[in-house]
Amino acid sequence: MSDHASGPRAFADPVIDITDIYAFPSPERPGVLVLALNVFPFAGPTALFSDAVDYQFRLRPVTFSPAGDKSFAVGEKEVTITCRFAIPTKSKDGRLSSQQGTCCVSSGQSASFRVNDEQGGQSPGLRVFAGVRLDPFFFDGSRAVMTLMTGKLSFEKVGHATVFRQNVLSIIVELDNSLVTSASAGGPLFAVVGETVKPGTIQVRLERYGRPEIKNLLLWPKQFDSVNRDIEIRDLYNQEDAFNLANAYLSAYRSRMNGTLAFWDGLGGKTDWALGEHGTHPLTELLLRDFMVVDVSKPFSENSSYDTERALMKGTNNTTCGGRWFNDDTVDTYLTLLITAGNGPRISDGVDQATVPATRTFPYLAPPEQNPPPVKGPAVKT
Amino acid sequence: MTAMNASHATAVANTGDAPPQITTTSGYIAMVNLQAQIDGLEKRGAESRLSVAEETGLIELVALRGHILGRITDYELAEERAEELCRKNPNDGTAHLARARSRARFHRFDEALGDLDTAERLGANPEPVDRERATIFQAIGQFDEALARFRRAETSENEFACSGTLAVFYAEQGNPEQAEEFFEKSQRAYRGVSPIPLALLEFQRGHMWMAQGNRDRARSWFQKAVDRLPEFAPAQGHLAEVEALCSETDSAITRLIPLTTSSDDPDYTAALARILQAVGRVEEGTRWRTKATARYEELILRHRDAFVDHAAAFLLAQGGNPYRALELAQRNLEIRQTPRAKGLFERALRACETAAAAKPLFA
Repeated sequence: MSDHASGPRAFADPVIDITDIYAFPSPERPGVLVLALNVFPFAGPTALFSDAVDYQFRLRPVTFSPAGDKSFAVGEKEVTITCRFAIPTKSKDGRLSSQQGTCCVSSGQSASFRVNDEQGGQSPGLRVFAGVRLDPFFFDGSRAVMTLMTGKLSFEKVGHATVFRQNVLSIIVELDNSLVTSASAGGPLFAVVGETVKPGTIQVRLERYGRPEIKNLLLWPKQFDSVNRDIEIRDLYNQEDAFNLANAYLSAYRSRMNGTLAFWDGLGGKTDWALGEHGTHPLTELLLRDFMVVDVSKPFSENSSYDTERALMKGTNNTTCGGRWFNDDTVDTYLTLLITAGNGPRISDGVDQATVPATRTFPYLAPPEQNPPPVKGPAVKT
Repeated sequence: MTAMNASHATAVANTGDAPPQITTTSGYIAMVNLQAQIDGLEKRGAESRLSVAEETGLIELVALRGHILGRITDYELAEERAEELCRKNPNDGTAHLARARSRARFHRFDEALGDLDTAERLGANPEPVDRERATIFQAIGQFDEALARFRRAETSENEFACSGTLAVFYAEQGNPEQAEEFFEKSQRAYRGVSPIPLALLEFQRGHMWMAQGNRDRARSWFQKAVDRLPEFAPAQGHLAEVEALCSETDSAITRLIPLTTSSDDPDYTAALARILQAVGRVEEGTRWRTKATARYEELILRHRDAFVDHAAAFLLAQGGNPYRALELAQRNLEIRQTPRAKGLFERALRACETAAAAKPLFA
């Protein structure tokens, strides 16, 4: 549920629905950044990428704002990594080929690959895999929904993973840090956003993703919003540029987030996040600008998600790489941040690992479940 | 350029329909992914119980697959799942909404309206309930009621769907000018990449022009739908009919033959039978007609109200029993007082009168 079905448009066309992104220094090769973008929740094993969509990562250098206002200052120079896919072709004997893909970095590198080929495609400084994998996300989504509906923290000691044994389409890119730092003239902290985009003369951003559960846990619930309780806001938010939110709907997003963040804080039994003027929650501006932050100068870490954000809020420097590793229980970290601000025991949803944890070897994620159950149906004479 | 392509190019040039280029995912990939989506949800259902919302989503995907591929067995599967969903969740409004939709697909309109009332009472989201109610009112000829509800549902957030619905409404009213305005508006509002919604819209546009007797425009839109989604059976079937009307019978036959196996809808078998007989391939045509007749009768036994109109039209078109056609057309008129249903009934009545007049008084 990280961002699974994060809006009506995404649900209607799952091939554009970004479920998760990950960003971490390679555990195998120092000096290499790994980025992963997953789409198509609950994908059957035959799922294909769209040939009409650009699947991309956008990276910009960030620093802690010199104004000390607990925000990230985002640089202007951007590195974009774009993956495009072709329609499988038919050979002379009528068999369909594998889907082919190409990954291009805005600084000029590119690599071609076959979908589902575990060797991936390579070129100097770049390696890419794309294909169906076991979804690495783990979270008790239904208990989160129950929490929102009942107003009581509803997670159990042993939870049920919403995407247990489910598949997802995954794009995993490894690139040398130098490709990112030199092209962006910045670093070592980078903001990472994953996007699905309809290319063309006028590009249409279909979905974007920065951090887990921003849309589903903060923007989807309408009942805590003091201003708008009937707008489905996620599709609007998805179309925005993460690095440059337009003014038109900012107040609507703020109102929604302020209300929902206050709700989550209240679940801890006390106020850990004192609201500011006009009910502004201290985390709203930080999370509204939805991007993941990773420090490419730091080594790989198993559990470092939100470290840069916590350092920012405390006014200190980050000591780990931040970002997000596949096996990192990011959602527990996030829930703890929202509910207790870290002032107390860690909040757990009762699900502590994926169906099959990721390995430290490219392409990291486990092969997909191959056997969907047979479709039940009436007996029909043919 | 082959003769067929040349005539198609001319047809496009004459229609005045400049094709707006909206790039969508390839039809092949879209259908693979539709199946992958169904497989994934089925798998999730096998691992743990699907929520009512998820089960409803799965039912709609199966019904969509049925619509695209012309598979009545998929509608039946969706119906069975919707019934089970309601049995297991009798107090859930969304379950009743799902069942209303599946019943409406089989023209069980009274039961569907009852389900919608129940859905509303149980607190289902009123917008989709009202939209479904509007669709049923349109189907049974209560056009004013339908239009009022369609207009109420219009918002800028769902302009593609709302404009598309109004386009189809005005098309069925025989108002192509107004329908075209809404078809254009709907198309311009489309922001997705799935080819399916656009292909459905393009098909409806072609259907309208076919009913208006404008073969060129009908052909152009059916061709667009087929280009975008080659497996779309209704678009292929209707394109074949236009080709047959344009005396491109070889092309029409080639287009219909695969549909007689990939689809279990007898409309394609019936169309093939008609065309074969028209070009003098009488024995072949008769074989297909026999198959179509048997399949219509089977469907009337299982889903009478859903197939009485198509079966009656088939009997009238292929020289079958006019009295049986009248019986079916009458039932169709009972469940839906639309101009089309009235027209079918009148045609059946005339056919019976002709048959009676031709019969000698004494054998």
